[in-house]
Amino acid sequence: MGVDLKDIVPKEEVRLKDLSGKSIAIDAYNALYQFLAIIRQPDGTPLKDHTGRVTSHLSGLFYRTCNLLEMGIKVIYVFDGVPPALKEAEIKRRARIKEEALKKYEAALKEGRIEEARMYAQMTSRLKDYMADDAKRLLTLMGVPWVQAPSEGEAQAAYLVKRGDSDYCASQDYDSLLFGAPRLLRNVTISGRRKLPRKKVYVEVVPEVVELDRVLRELGITHEQLVDIGILIGTDFNPEGVKGIGPKKALRLIKEYGSLEKALPTLKNATFPVEPSKIREIFLHPEVTDNYTIKWKDPDVEGVVNFLCGERDFSESRVRKALEKTIKGSREARERTTLEAWF
Amino acid sequence: MFSVRVADARAFRDILSAISTLVDEGTFYITEEGIRLRAMDPSRVAMVDFAMNKSAFDEYVSSGELKMCIDIGELLKLLRRAGRESVELFLDEETGQLKVTIRGKYTRTFSMPTLEASEEEVPTPRITFNVKATLTTDGLHQALEDVSLVSEHVRIEAEGDRIVMNAKGELMGVNIELDKGSDALISLEVKEPSRATFSLSYLSEIVKAAASTSDVVTMEFSTDMPIRLDFKQQYDGKLIYYLAPRIEVE
Repeated sequence: MGVDLKDIVPKEEVRLKDLSGKSIAIDAYNALYQFLAIIRQPDGTPLKDHTGRVTSHLSGLFYRTCNLLEMGIKVIYVFDGVPPALKEAEIKRRARIKEEALKKYEAALKEGRIEEARMYAQMTSRLKDYMADDAKRLLTLMGVPWVQAPSEGEAQAAYLVKRGDSDYCASQDYDSLLFGAPRLLRNVTISGRRKLPRKKVYVEVVPEVVELDRVLRELGITHEQLVDIGILIGTDFNPEGVKGIGPKKALRLIKEYGSLEKALPTLKNATFPVEPSKIREIFLHPEVTDNYTIKWKDPDVEGVVNFLCGERDFSESRVRKALEKTIKGSREARERTTLEAWF
Repeated sequence: MFSVRVADARAFRDILSAISTLVDEGTFYITEEGIRLRAMDPSRVAMVDFAMNKSAFDEYVSSGELKMCIDIGELLKLLRRAGRESVELFLDEETGQLKVTIRGKYTRTFSMPTLEASEEEVPTPRITFNVKATLTTDGLHQALEDVSLVSEHVRIEAEGDRIVMNAKGELMGVNIELDKGSDALISLEVKEPSRATFSLSYLSEIVKAAASTSDVVTMEFSTDMPIRLDFKQQYDGKLIYYLAPRIEVE
């Protein structure tokens, strides 16, 4: 879900190939979840191997990562650890939505409403533990570094960027900004044409950069105030937010009163599942770790082929071809320098 | 206030065309002395450093300093319609529109929007060059065309009285020698034998585009450092490019 700052943050479109040579820390769960939702057959059934294990997440992870590496983008994945206890309300809410979607999916499928079935199937996507384990195994074989976050993956990814270990963090959610990520990239793991739900309309999804400094400067607020705005709109820790308050109104309130504490008395019916100050604390001082190493290696081609083709029924010729292009492209990119090195 | 006129659109069009090989949206700094632009391509591999002084224009009026960002490709489309006719540019600061008037057999005035100017000040790369060569732009262009038949990269070496370019493709290779005093290489100073490799997709494009604005180019480089190409202009101004090298790894 994440906080919805879309309407108020300035952003800039980028071409992925211009990010060649840059490193990006991708929120792994966010990406895997998208692959799982999108990579499905027309009736909503995910890809599976001969034993019935779902492979949509691996397919998305493998081909997308190959694409990025081929462009010379240095990819890092960051995996969620144990969610903060405060996230309970959101976790329950997501489970409820999925249960309802599952019922609707089964009904739609039975009645032959294929398109609807697909839509509900996407909503039932559940990321199981084995999927994260699969992903880590594949990344290791591909020579792509991954970091295990102690808690929220986005907080850890933001930390990597703050420390200079990564140039960008990549996620669809704006929460990274609340966690203080200096540079957020959106629409990296999915891009190109995307279908709007319930409509036969396709939109072009273009990667975009959001810079925290610029957001704060243009909105005329501090990072703390941005977090307060997020809490008013609703975050993973208070998914409902405050009734009737969207991004624009939240911005106006925080600018007028200075802080959440001062704005709250003016709002009727503002209730929170947890103390707002505790939510703020999670964003300003999240649990992160220094215990990681980031190093890229050439992929272990036979290892990847054994795993994806031997165990999960991927097409060997496609996998080999993708790896070949990846190795060539990333080597090519490593040889390239930019003028910045001489400034 | 900014308004200029050139009596023949071609030269101005060729310069903009040379800039547009690297930059789509360009921010021009306009002062009472002239206009200039310094920008990198989005991948930050190459840079163009351009200036055109007041006297290069047939008419030049500017009060104070301002920045003007435009879509260079769009402006080029208009200038291509002008042929050898005269072109006037007028910036309407109130509406942010650039008015482009072409006067010839008939008069037409286009208006195009200006864009948000870039805040970024691009510095000059700090490099000590050990090789300085003056070549005919055409000679350099032809040599690079030869190389592009076999590879996507070119290695340029200078030693003694000679510049050698070579490339190896998957199947073919090429070796090109330019001797001092030949038709292509007018002069050469080598402080230290040097060699560096560059991507032809950049280098050829730059030289090809700049060739229509200039007959003589001064090329400076050092081992594994960016190359500097200064294309001598007929007008009062400059057109200089920097291109970062490729460095062999492992």
